[in-house]
Amino acid sequence: MDVFESLRMSWRSIRGHRLRSTLTTLGVVIGVGAVITFVTLGASLQGAIIGDIATEQSPAMAVSTQQAGSQGGPGAGGGQAVFTEHDLEQLRAIEGVATVIPQGTVSLSGVTYGGQSIAISSMQATTPGYFEQSGQGNFSAGGPFTIGERELVLNEPAATIFEDNVSVGDSITVTRSGGETINATVVGILASQAGSGFGPPGASQPQIYGPTDPFSENRFESPATGENQRVYSQLTVVAADFDQVDEVAERVTAYLSTDSDARALLPSSYEVSVQTNEEFVAQVQSILNTFTGFITGIAVISLVVGAIGIANIMLVSVTERTREIGIMKAVGFQNRDILQLFLVEAVILGLIGSVFGIIVGALAGFGATEFLDLPFAFPLDWAGIAVVVGVLVGVVAGLYPAWNGARIDPIEALRYE
Amino acid sequence: MNDVTTATENTNQSAVSVQDVRKTYFLGEPVHALDGVSIELQRGSYTSVMGPSGSGKSTLMNLIGCLDTPTEGRIVVNGQDVTALSGRERTQLRGSEIGFVFQTFNLMPRLTAHENVVLPMVAQGRSRQDRTERAHQLLERVGLGERADHRPNELSGGQRQRVSIARALANDPALILADEPTGNLDSETGASIMELFADLHAAGNTILMVTHERDIAEHGDRIIHLLDGKIEREDVVDAPRRPTMGGDE
Repeated sequence: MDVFESLRMSWRSIRGHRLRSTLTTLGVVIGVGAVITFVTLGASLQGAIIGDIATEQSPAMAVSTQQAGSQGGPGAGGGQAVFTEHDLEQLRAIEGVATVIPQGTVSLSGVTYGGQSIAISSMQATTPGYFEQSGQGNFSAGGPFTIGERELVLNEPAATIFEDNVSVGDSITVTRSGGETINATVVGILASQAGSGFGPPGASQPQIYGPTDPFSENRFESPATGENQRVYSQLTVVAADFDQVDEVAERVTAYLSTDSDARALLPSSYEVSVQTNEEFVAQVQSILNTFTGFITGIAVISLVVGAIGIANIMLVSVTERTREIGIMKAVGFQNRDILQLFLVEAVILGLIGSVFGIIVGALAGFGATEFLDLPFAFPLDWAGIAVVVGVLVGVVAGLYPAWNGARIDPIEALRYE
Repeated sequence: MNDVTTATENTNQSAVSVQDVRKTYFLGEPVHALDGVSIELQRGSYTSVMGPSGSGKSTLMNLIGCLDTPTEGRIVVNGQDVTALSGRERTQLRGSEIGFVFQTFNLMPRLTAHENVVLPMVAQGRSRQDRTERAHQLLERVGLGERADHRPNELSGGQRQRVSIARALANDPALILADEPTGNLDSETGASIMELFADLHAAGNTILMVTHERDIAEHGDRIIHLLDGKIEREDVVDAPRRPTMGGDE
């Protein structure tokens, strides 16, 4: 029997048994729909998180120290202040390095403005380049400070912490934890930004930024030069471009772990961590992949359940049609014709189920992403896989019943009521 | 029809030859459903098989209908030894050489009369145009030209049996095998079906009819009486009944 004829006959049989066909299709719809829903959700979630990170991406890497063996997550900085000015110079000289931005925390006892003193325990000492790299370089007023000048940049929360709001040009006094006071001019106010959850820590807390010179007074004798130099706990090394990030990261790591001051100063239980954005993205991605894998696992289970449902209904359907099979055999249909009919029917049901499953899954995925306020991302390749899987499920689940049906003895079948 | 006339000319050759056939079932102890039966069905003959339940009628029908194989002996259908064929070849032979007419009609419930008649031709891989034309002709011939697009449940018992007769004729078989064809019909409808068989016989078709009713059996030229798996006796009917429309039964 040619394929077209069996298509026609199978289609008649499907239409002839509406309820049964609907139930079978429903099994596939649920299975494929679940796969698509979960995978869509996974892809959308992944897109949302990666998208958040990517907007703040620059070919930069964060250099810090951490306790050996600990997992360096974002914001795990604030380790040991071991990176000397000498190290900075050496790093700046490395091929492919565009800039090196030091970052250190300066302990304060308080800040005074307009006669009002407020206890703020720390400020950040860094270089103007920080504002270009950190992703929060949006000044609502003024601009970055200059190295060597007594100038400060405040973020929005810090500018509004006093009774009178601080504005550019105002003079404020910072008091170090040692008691020393520094009068400085506010040169810039940072615009407040939506907390992305992955930005620098304390973005929504009052932050005061000043140039490393004169604010950073954390000094140590550089083992390489013998000079007393400023030391920093965290560096941002910016590569010339994204292509070089990995190489630069390797060179930076190589330098820091061999003959750097940091190497000499670092307690043995600590290690230098060079974390590129890509590593970070890759880390997040691997977490998300695990997540997607888990979700796909659930989807596969629902597909298996769907398959069992199909097999069940196909088995019942074979029993139900025993007499018809007997008639067909009596009028000269071969076993393989019967097998073919059942398989074609299973494939058609699988196809229809997959298509509806994709629609249902896409809608459900869309609804879920809307509900969770995520950008909708539809994994097209998965839609293809789902159709193939749906058909395969139909065939595999239909195979045994079809084979059973094909082997029915026509004599018995014709006697069957 | 031309093909039917050719069949008439070949009366010297047997349509079906049953040669010393035994069929034994092993149900704890061997049961001989058929025990050494030999029958020759000449082309164009009209034979009835009678016998009480358990006499081996059904077994004989299954064997001649290529649905089953004998334990011993040979069955030759249209020159082909059924016992030497594979299951697939047997199915092929059944489809092309045997036309079944059942007591319970055995039509496909979801197919129309036309599609039911087409079915055996689909199995034989005949072209769409060929089988559509043939199905039309056959339905006209059994008087159902108007009802071709009705499903079995929209047809009366007699009409259903006419559809199944048309289906039996589809591939122009060597033998029409009728199993109690009037068993589920009232006597008047039954008579009209018997008239149709008489017409088919007159047109040269070979008919084997299994029945337990004497007056139905007497439509045949010959009656074979089966008892306990053996041929008890053979009667030649001198004047076979030939009902005319609005017949005498």
